Amino acid sequence: MITKVDPENNETLALFDLADFNGQRVLEIGCGDGRLTWRYADKAAHVTAIDAFADGILRAKENISDELKDRVEFSHIAFEDFATASEPSTFDRAILSWSL
Amino acid sequence: MVHALEEIQRLLKPDGCLIDIHPVLEAPLIKVYQGSRVLFVESNPDHDRTEEESRQAEDALAQVVQRGLFIIERNSEFDLPIYGSSVIELRDFRAKIGAFDDSPKDDAVEAQRTALYARVDEIMQAAGDGAEVAYHERARITRMNPNVRKEEPL
Repeated sequence: MITKVDPENNETLALFDLADFNGQRVLEIGCGDGRLTWRYADKAAHVTAIDAFADGILRAKENISDELKDRVEFSHIAFEDFATASEPSTFDRAILSWSL
Repeated sequence: MVHALEEIQRLLKPDGCLIDIHPVLEAPLIKVYQGSRVLFVESNPDHDRTEEESRQAEDALAQVVQRGLFIIERNSEFDLPIYGSSVIELRDFRAKIGAFDDSPKDDAVEAQRTALYARVDEIMQAAGDGAEVAYHERARITRMNPNVRKEEPL
């Protein structure tokens, strides 16, 4: 058996109940291996997914599909450093994914 | 945490929104299933740490709302289960996703966890084929909008 995370899609349903991702520019903080990113990325215009831990980002980059490669950017960076280098009013959606 | 929320507010467009997902204060549960039947339920041994993290997250969100940076639009709760065929598989998976990265070394908690895993293992072996173990964590999801103050007319 392979470990199954939220096969009932509880998290995705809760996420989509609160926000629309169609055509949106999304920042996901604490994306890990992209577990949540894969659930909404196909709807978004662009996703910047960051995490301070390298292992998860490596796995996310390995698993990214060809369809999402142009739209989803995974970065191994601490949020503080990312924020310092980023322009204001850039994103339509920010997700704090189990990382606050 | 509060500084991170301030920075997120800066990075969001005025009509954007922040979605925060973090664990609730109640303890995550370890459950053993045989089909739809629940054979065993017990709280996660390192709940104190989770509880403290959840409390800090709640406090940070409350602070930025109080300071007028964000308005809470809506929230809800959901259950995030992780299923495995053995407690070792579940533990290894949680380790792989960094679940224990921030945990301070605590021998007492480690001993409780080892004892719990041994009991779960016994129950699963007794249950035979089709038994599975799950780690259930309850989470709160909140939509917060930047509080865009309207300029007062002169």
